[in-house]
Amino acid sequence: MVGLSLGEKHFIQGGIDQNLRSDGRKRDAYRPISIETGVIPQANGSARIRIGATEVIASVKAELGRPNALQPDKGKVAIFVDCSPVAEPMFEGRGGEELSTELSVALQCCLLGGKSGAGAGIDLSSLIVAEGKICWDLYIDGLVISSDGNLLDALGAAIKAALSNTGIPRVQVAAGASGDEQPEVDISDEEFLQFDTSGVPVIVTLTKVGRHYIVDATSEEESQMSSAVSVSISRKGHICGLSKRGSAGLDPSVISDMISVARHISEQLINKLDSEISAAEADEDEM
Amino acid sequence: MASTGGGAPGTYTPTPTKKTQRSSFFSDSDVDWLRPDGRGFHQCRPAFFRTGAVNSAAGSAYAEFGNTKVIVSVFGPRESKKAMVYSDVGRLNCNVSCTTFATPVRGLGSDNKEFSSMLHKALEGDLPVVISCASLALADAGIMMYDLVAGVSVSCLGRNLIIDPILEEENFQDGSLMITCMPSRYEVTQLSITGEWSTAKLNEAMQLCLDACSKLDKIMRACLKEAASASLD
Repeated sequence: MVGLSLGEKHFIQGGIDQNLRSDGRKRDAYRPISIETGVIPQANGSARIRIGATEVIASVKAELGRPNALQPDKGKVAIFVDCSPVAEPMFEGRGGEELSTELSVALQCCLLGGKSGAGAGIDLSSLIVAEGKICWDLYIDGLVISSDGNLLDALGAAIKAALSNTGIPRVQVAAGASGDEQPEVDISDEEFLQFDTSGVPVIVTLTKVGRHYIVDATSEEESQMSSAVSVSISRKGHICGLSKRGSAGLDPSVISDMISVARHISEQLINKLDSEISAAEADEDEM
Repeated sequence: MASTGGGAPGTYTPTPTKKTQRSSFFSDSDVDWLRPDGRGFHQCRPAFFRTGAVNSAAGSAYAEFGNTKVIVSVFGPRESKKAMVYSDVGRLNCNVSCTTFATPVRGLGSDNKEFSSMLHKALEGDLPVVISCASLALADAGIMMYDLVAGVSVSCLGRNLIIDPILEEENFQDGSLMITCMPSRYEVTQLSITGEWSTAKLNEAMQLCLDACSKLDKIMRACLKEAASASLD
């Protein structure tokens, strides 16, 4: 929780009105972003991202499993978010649970696409090993280490970076298994398949404070918000998901406006993330 | 008790969009595709509301949209036991429970209650119904609100937008959009989108939902009015 005096509240709101926020940014500017990949050796892929004082880690673990009976040609992806008590004393015990659930649901909504898998950032059919029998289950875990606002954008970016860092072992399926028998598999520990992450969307959250909306709000700014809209946008400019937070209602025309602003901002963010991710990968290779 | 209130099942189907668009709809390759319950793509299920479904609650409402049946009861307002200091805002606690026989697979809702995200998934299609019914129950409890909240969802299947999808249709959807709004204030209170959408399609779906919301609102208001006039007599 952020405790602000009346003066501080006016200062934040007035700054946003004048397009000069407390930390000197404009309304549509992000804080500096830095990315590190391969931070968890046990995971198939991982990344740590810092946006200002917000810090999150995402890890991707792949396990062999059975595909869903309804969708035998698709793998499965699950996203979980955990808010560490390290980030905020409020997250102690079950305190972070509500926020964790909210973030997981929003991320699933933004990244996994529709029920049929259309519009998903992750191509589920690439996770299949033997149709109807074996597939990869991806477990994506997000961990909030330090929270200073804009957690959803940070988690989305961290997941994107972790996925591009992910190598999935090549699997040989032994031929000859007939009927309902589960075929034997040989998991290679040398050959890894890289994940295609060009389709993974980025999440842009626009936080409405007063009459204006801002990107990348700090927790002080978030405490003054009336509502926030998180839009996930692919490189092609398509909307891949949207969720709204905050209790205040929004005029439908404002929402359309926010979506077009988010689309414009996402172009810069995608380019920024891509260059940061490739720089991080290069750093990791050097070590 | 205001339990005699209620309205004849009404439908809140939005007015069909322009004729030209309609014809292009049906010249598609998947013309012969029919919805399982025989509705048109832009036709909603008949909605039925009744207030005063639970005697012991301060306010309650029952909603029936086709085979989706929901009861919402409101208890309170009462003094908060958790609050340590003075607060100038109240709190609304929401709890949703699913009967074990609510879904085709038994116990899908209640077994996974800890996994709220699962529950959320299981509820996806019913959520607009639950929300609309909850706002009616709050009104029945006499709690002051800005406006009634009506919720409607749209599924995107291939090139078609279908309104008020049933579970069977949702399992095959490419994308979904749910709007809850306060029709008299023309404000969107909640919006969630999944799947890939182009701007044109998004706008079409939003308009469709908003139109249906304002019609649903009329049905809800009629139900409240009827209940109120019945209790006066």
